[in-house]
Amino acid sequence: MVRTTLLGTTIAILCCSLAAAQSSSSVAPIVAGANAFLGSLDEGQRSKVLFDFNDAAQRVKWSNLPTTMVPRAGLKMGDLSAPQRKAAMALLAAALSKHGYEKVLAIVEGDEALKAASGGRGGTMFGRDLFYISILGKPSMKDPWMLQFGGHHLALNITIVGPEGILTPSLTAAQPAKYTVDGKTVRPLGAENDKAFALINALDEPQRKQAILNYKVADLVLGPGQDGKTIQPEGLKCSAMNASQQAMLLDLAGEWAGIVNEQAAAARMAEIKANLSATWFAWSGPTTNGTPAYYRIQGPTLVIEYAPQPLGGDPTMHIHTIYRDPTNDYGKKSVGH
Amino acid sequence: MSALLAFSLASGAAAHRLDEYLQATLIGVSRDGTDVEIQLTPGVAMLPLLLAVIDQDRDGRISPTEEQAYASRVARELELRVDGVSAPLSLIESKFPTIEAMREGLGTIRMKLRTARSGHSLRFENRHLPQISAYLVNCLASPSDGLLVGPQKRDEQQRSIQFDYAFGAGAVPVPRALWPAAIGMLLVVRMAILLYRAPSARRSA
Repeated sequence: MVRTTLLGTTIAILCCSLAAAQSSSSVAPIVAGANAFLGSLDEGQRSKVLFDFNDAAQRVKWSNLPTTMVPRAGLKMGDLSAPQRKAAMALLAAALSKHGYEKVLAIVEGDEALKAASGGRGGTMFGRDLFYISILGKPSMKDPWMLQFGGHHLALNITIVGPEGILTPSLTAAQPAKYTVDGKTVRPLGAENDKAFALINALDEPQRKQAILNYKVADLVLGPGQDGKTIQPEGLKCSAMNASQQAMLLDLAGEWAGIVNEQAAAARMAEIKANLSATWFAWSGPTTNGTPAYYRIQGPTLVIEYAPQPLGGDPTMHIHTIYRDPTNDYGKKSVGH
Repeated sequence: MSALLAFSLASGAAAHRLDEYLQATLIGVSRDGTDVEIQLTPGVAMLPLLLAVIDQDRDGRISPTEEQAYASRVARELELRVDGVSAPLSLIESKFPTIEAMREGLGTIRMKLRTARSGHSLRFENRHLPQISAYLVNCLASPSDGLLVGPQKRDEQQRSIQFDYAFGAGAVPVPRALWPAAIGMLLVVRMAILLYRAPSARRSA
């Protein structure tokens, strides 16, 4: 009897240790990356990049607009030495999945392409040197802290609470939405576009009638500056989709949820999947791929919007998206603030 | 990344809004009133037209008096009806950006308006500067208030919206057309209760 109890206790302790080790496995490289980056900075730079975790003003200092128009705080990539910049990008790579990191690089390099195409004034408004990094709180395996990286068309707000990596709210965008590098076509948000068109075309006629809104949507509804707001959902409820369509929607949502590191992304995807029957898919615009269309995925813990921008050029070449969790933006549920 | 970058950008494509006046409205319904928040962002090309409306003395500045006059005009051109009855909105707050920010296509005029009227059916229409505007209008969710909202009906441009709503756990928004039936049902239930209680009341007397 005693032997059985001892064996049970040992197994339980081993299981707990394994779970703890597993949950900390993705956080340790991020904390190490943050400390390496901070270690590469001088005192003045460190005071610029570090903020109090509860600094509410810094937390919401993000935008889709160029940094010359909406100033960001923290350290500017262009002000860092090559080793410091490498350390900053290594931190970002540790916090994100491989796919997410590549997406971020494609957005940043897209801004560099925009700079090249814009000539004179573009040099001061766009480009990879004008992205900022900041850290709120002390990088920790246990206590909450936050990593921000962004600039024109990008705002990553990653709240880390132990094993949790919360990426909401975050903004991804692209202008140009398609460019070439060394003869290779880059579409930073190409999957977000193509998977959505595949989904709307996988719906049958009654489903599509339900999903397609009868009005135009000119921009993001819950973009920058709309923290804490939730709108009434509309469109087609996922409970009215078949298993294949639901899988397509989850795959689409994964383009945002999967930006963060694999372990955090898996937990987030499980949450989105658990709420799938109460999630809605809404569409506005034509359904032929290559045309500009707005869509929204909205569930109890999820808001995704994808909005081509009719700002004087081809809307399909200028995309804004937003990714939110109305219950846990900035980790408010996980942190309790 | 050493790269040869090549792509074509349509002329005029830029980071800022250009040729439209974006009017984004969020409507919050609660038991004790209706709140309307509107954000107005003029595109660069639209600014001269808008300034002709706001800057009445043509001095190139927007004075507090001109701000107030413009905000009041916007409020007058928003029509809200609650349960079919006009519910004029009072201006609670307005914030204006600098003209410089608006010249960049970045300045957003923010206004908060409110009426103490609440009910079960709402219709909102924005009639402000339709020739140059693009619109967004949405009803805010309020799960903590037990708010239930029926289908939101809009015109194609999102200038107007209408919907039915109700509060409380399990409450279902009743379309206005069904109100007489709903009231009739309540009266029938009430009479049944009275009839049931009458004999027992006589017995106890």
